[in-house]
Amino acid sequence: MTTLDTQPPERRMAAPRKRARTFPRLGKYATHVVMITGLLVTIFPFVWVALMATHSRSEIYSSPPPFWIGDNLAENYIKLLDVMPFWTVLFNSLWVATAGTVGAVFFCSMCAYGFFAFNFRGKNLIFGIMIASMMVPPVLGLIPFFLTVQFLGILDTHLAIWLPGIANAFGIFLIRQYMVQSISRELLDAAKVDGASEFRIFWSVVLPLIKPALATLGIVMFIGLWNNFLTPLIVLSSPDKYVLTLALRSVQSIANSPWGAIMLGTFLSMLPLLIAFLFFSRQMMAGLTAGAVKG
Amino acid sequence: MARVELVNLSKSFGEVKVLHDLNLTVEEGEFVALVGPSGCGKSTLLRIIAGLEDATSGEIVMDNEIVNDLNPRERNIAMVFQSYALYPHMTVEENIGFNLRISGVSKAEKRERARAAAETLGLTDLLDRKPSQLSGGQRQRVAMGRAIVRNPDAFLFDEPLSNLDAKLRAEMRDEIKHLHHKVKTTSIYVTHDQIEAMTLADRVVILKGGVIQQIGTPTELYRNPANSFVAGFIGSPAMNFVDATLETSGGQTTATLQDGTKLVVSVDYAALGRDVKLGLRPEHLELAANSATNAMPGSVRLVEPTGAVNHLKIKVAGQNLTVVDDTLADLALDAPVHLSIAPEYIHVFPKDE
Repeated sequence: MTTLDTQPPERRMAAPRKRARTFPRLGKYATHVVMITGLLVTIFPFVWVALMATHSRSEIYSSPPPFWIGDNLAENYIKLLDVMPFWTVLFNSLWVATAGTVGAVFFCSMCAYGFFAFNFRGKNLIFGIMIASMMVPPVLGLIPFFLTVQFLGILDTHLAIWLPGIANAFGIFLIRQYMVQSISRELLDAAKVDGASEFRIFWSVVLPLIKPALATLGIVMFIGLWNNFLTPLIVLSSPDKYVLTLALRSVQSIANSPWGAIMLGTFLSMLPLLIAFLFFSRQMMAGLTAGAVKG
Repeated sequence: MARVELVNLSKSFGEVKVLHDLNLTVEEGEFVALVGPSGCGKSTLLRIIAGLEDATSGEIVMDNEIVNDLNPRERNIAMVFQSYALYPHMTVEENIGFNLRISGVSKAEKRERARAAAETLGLTDLLDRKPSQLSGGQRQRVAMGRAIVRNPDAFLFDEPLSNLDAKLRAEMRDEIKHLHHKVKTTSIYVTHDQIEAMTLADRVVILKGGVIQQIGTPTELYRNPANSFVAGFIGSPAMNFVDATLETSGGQTTATLQDGTKLVVSVDYAALGRDVKLGLRPEHLELAANSATNAMPGSVRLVEPTGAVNHLKIKVAGQNLTVVDDTLADLALDAPVHLSIAPEYIHVFPKDE
């Protein structure tokens, strides 16, 4: 709206300038202090793990603990390979996380397309139940999950870790919401008139338009599967099938836990995620905040 | 090209019936406009013809074949949407060639046909652009390119110009008409803008509440509207309606307005009953002397200059009548004037219609 402003420019500027002068620097400093504190608190465990990976067990337990780079990295690496088949375990983790992520991105987006593009009896009810299922604490489902996996005969396989989650309520909800706000009905109609089958519409028209949501779901799924400890703990029993979380935890129980090696393993296990985040953080933010602001 | 025939077509959404037993034949190569106010079912009708919506009952016949159960592709129709519905992630060339890609046309042929369509519409320089880099008019052209590239049996247009500004709309209207003259494909065009319908179409179908009110050429609809709705809908500015009572004496029919003014009506409308509505088109009313035929006394309420003509609001018999004054008379507000109209231009409708 345009209104006539009869005040001279100096007077119009006066009010905000006065307000800004009251606490200008204090506010700025306070913001920085809070942000820097948050950053330090967040980053400390990562730095600590990285530092401890270069120290021996006795150094780690010394008081005060060392806060510098040690010289025990090579020994820790040898020890790490000694207590667990580290690279096999890392590959297991990679496989589980990748398969689960690809599966989830594909199947969640297909389910979401179903909820978005088709009208069928009970659609809203099914969608509602699906959303409601997100409110059930995951721990409550552990025993039924175990029994189901056992029934399917996939206990002690990697399949049991990634397969059950490939069509999950969160993913379907996230992608459907993104579709609702980014894809117009007329676009689907246009594709139909152009002669596209439903799968073709999904594949050639819808998928390219929801890339940010797919990236977000992909990253969330990858992190979730990579960090998943509980499910592997329940379903895996053969050490050669262990994933990183389980393998790193399992060596902590033995007497004289080789903390230097464990810290090295932990640090190495964090690297793929850190790298992934560096590359995809922009998409992730875009996807998670999409729709929060109109435009 | 195809002949499109709708036979007793009805459509309901749950309890709500939006189309009532429609019968319409669009001849091969004909350009028909469906026009009506919002919610009259014209877009639904178009979607049913396209195959995007199922009819509740009735038949859609294309070239003597019932196509109710065929999908849009099998019907070989092309549709231009109101929002253009271009694929945002594809270039202009990919947008135009998408349906060829689906139908397995070779890459070389696809490219050639897409380029030919682009050339017809003046899009050659824009082939590598994405829709977001195009103006509204260019997007509209791409949407039409997508339709013409596959040589469909019929074009369906769903208010394709309503998102454009007035100047561009007039330009695109010309282009659509030009295109139709060139390709001669059967076209069905939905719009709520009667000017658009009149200027483009060979025949216009007026819809109201899911019922066809009248089908005819623009001139027929203008000259012989079937009812007061059609009369009020066609023509710009809209027709004036005034209440009157009819009397016939000595072989002449006269209508008496509420203030007692008597107008001679050319046709014997006695069958309509005594209470009627007179329809007077603004362009047929003229400023006249007191002694003129069918002179009605009134006073000037408003003068709206449009350049070539003035639009006047004249209060006659307690009602404001719009008058198109091409004499550009210099009138003061509240000045007493007389309006006259030739008897053959007075339309008479039943009052309760």
